[in-house]
Amino acid sequence: MHKVWALIRASWLAASSYRLGIVFSFGSLVLSIVPIFFVTRALQPTMANVIRGQGEQYFAFLVVGLISLNLVSSTIYALPGGLQNATSTGTLEALLATPTPVSALLVGLSGYEILFSLIRGALMLIAAGFLGARVEWLQLGASIPIVALVVLAHLPIAIITAAMVLAFRTRGPLPQLVLLLSTFLGGVYYPTTVIPGWMESVSAFIPLTYGLTALRAVLLEGQSMASVWQELVILVGITIVTTLLSGWAFRAALSYARRVGNLAQY
Amino acid sequence: MTTTARAISFAPVQTSVSSTVVLDDLSKSFSKQRGWRAVLTRKSHESVRALSGVSCEIRAGEFFGLLGENGAGKTTLFKILATLVTPDVGTAMVSGYDVVRAPERVREVLAPVIADERSLHWRLSARENMRLFAALHGLRGADASRRVDDLLALVNLVEAADRQVSGFSSGMKQRLLVARTLLARPSVLLLDEPTRSLDPISARAFRTFLRNDVALAHGCTVLLATHNAEEAFELCDRVGVLHRGRLVAVGQTSELAREVGEDRFALWVRPADQVAIDALVSRGVIRDAKAFVAAEEGWWRVECDLRGGLEGAAEAVAYLARAGVSVARCEPVKLSLADLLERVLERHTAAGA
Repeated sequence: MHKVWALIRASWLAASSYRLGIVFSFGSLVLSIVPIFFVTRALQPTMANVIRGQGEQYFAFLVVGLISLNLVSSTIYALPGGLQNATSTGTLEALLATPTPVSALLVGLSGYEILFSLIRGALMLIAAGFLGARVEWLQLGASIPIVALVVLAHLPIAIITAAMVLAFRTRGPLPQLVLLLSTFLGGVYYPTTVIPGWMESVSAFIPLTYGLTALRAVLLEGQSMASVWQELVILVGITIVTTLLSGWAFRAALSYARRVGNLAQY
Repeated sequence: MTTTARAISFAPVQTSVSSTVVLDDLSKSFSKQRGWRAVLTRKSHESVRALSGVSCEIRAGEFFGLLGENGAGKTTLFKILATLVTPDVGTAMVSGYDVVRAPERVREVLAPVIADERSLHWRLSARENMRLFAALHGLRGADASRRVDDLLALVNLVEAADRQVSGFSSGMKQRLLVARTLLARPSVLLLDEPTRSLDPISARAFRTFLRNDVALAHGCTVLLATHNAEEAFELCDRVGVLHRGRLVAVGQTSELAREVGEDRFALWVRPADQVAIDALVSRGVIRDAKAFVAAEEGWWRVECDLRGGLEGAAEAVAYLARAGVSVARCEPVKLSLADLLERVLERHTAAGA
């Protein structure tokens, strides 16, 4: 854990050395919430029935969806991005030459982006609260394990993408595919119940579908964790299976890269 | 090792239980990247042999140099030792640990000085770079801070410790790279062309630092890959010469210099009498002579490989005097790395034949 924190701290120090970038990042967050507020207020009469049982206020519904989508995007792209960055800047070879477990390197290289996304998400939720989003603030603590599970469920996709980067120097289509499906079929902008026919069955294979259902139930409806146990069990199942698969893929990619000698090549 | 790959030994190689690095029949090939046409026509993979049957033992505390032209296999060998590349055949042991079977243990005792300045975190200060790698090497708290401070002092970077590395000169970055590597208290250090981006004065200071403060003070076994013969001769106890992936010579540096380089002399003569030089060649006094080069005030300089060292030089000077050629100066010449490698390869070819 000490090694993971050291890597996250180094990423933070590097990122914070670009002070203007940090300012713009938080500034754009605040600015983006304002148009969302007005657009969702206009759509509220139309969406009220559709989102019944998931908060009933479309502004809060969409804000939770967008925060989760941003988190999923950061989780999926942080690790392969960190790996590509470390390769192109030349730091990867030095990191790999230390007696640091590969798992610690992976978490350390992606940890800052995910934490930064979590902080941005928390700030966005607070800003939304100021604009009148109906959030069960006392349920924030209960939502943390769900958020953690959403991250864990998408980490294997990041690891498989990182394996592609390591072996073939390309991210491949997987992260874009997952993000595209999550955006349109994962219940970010509208509940999956409004998706027609066979497309709705696709959403059953998207982890974000279950994460958002559970998160909105707890955070917007004030339900207990026990009431969303089915979603949580499915998320845990997806996480276990994909983690095993991604672990195998990454080990294979590492072995391949060591064999062909392109482990730290740009 | 096969007969053709046998390394020429310039001194008895002592096999010792205290060997830190043991290479046994190490081979590695890389596939050539194929174009789309080759992929579509299912053309078979072509490969480039980077290392071939390399066997060698490097003793604890030794400063060992690896010489060879570009593509000779030096970096591949270092990457295998650093566990970044796996060998196809053979074994490489570092302090008793196999680089393939126990890479984590190898990384605990061996540290490569990645001479590429890009391997530093440029947006971080020198101290933050050091703190990050101290943590990755398992150092914590006061112990880590003390170690970082000590090493920054060792490489004379205390005053610049809190400055961003992006503002450092090449020499400062090189020193920081070495300090970063020493965090782990490695028993084996790999240096791949550590002075390639330094000016001659900084390079000399850096070599002194390597010899005195790294190798002698810390007792590290150091493997140095270099294109610089002066560097190899100044620092190394023994050198190995790699050629097209084969270790063609291993020996004491002084022996190597003496055996292949001590017969090169420069003569300042007047006039530039090629007939006299040719006569010395045909008499066997001179093995090989280069072309005359105009020196100063009508004198010509010619470099010759003389048989018999100083005796041969005396004989050549006497003969030239008898032939009416004045000799103003006769002095030994240090071989360039290119000449040295050429000679080693000539010997290797002759030994193979």
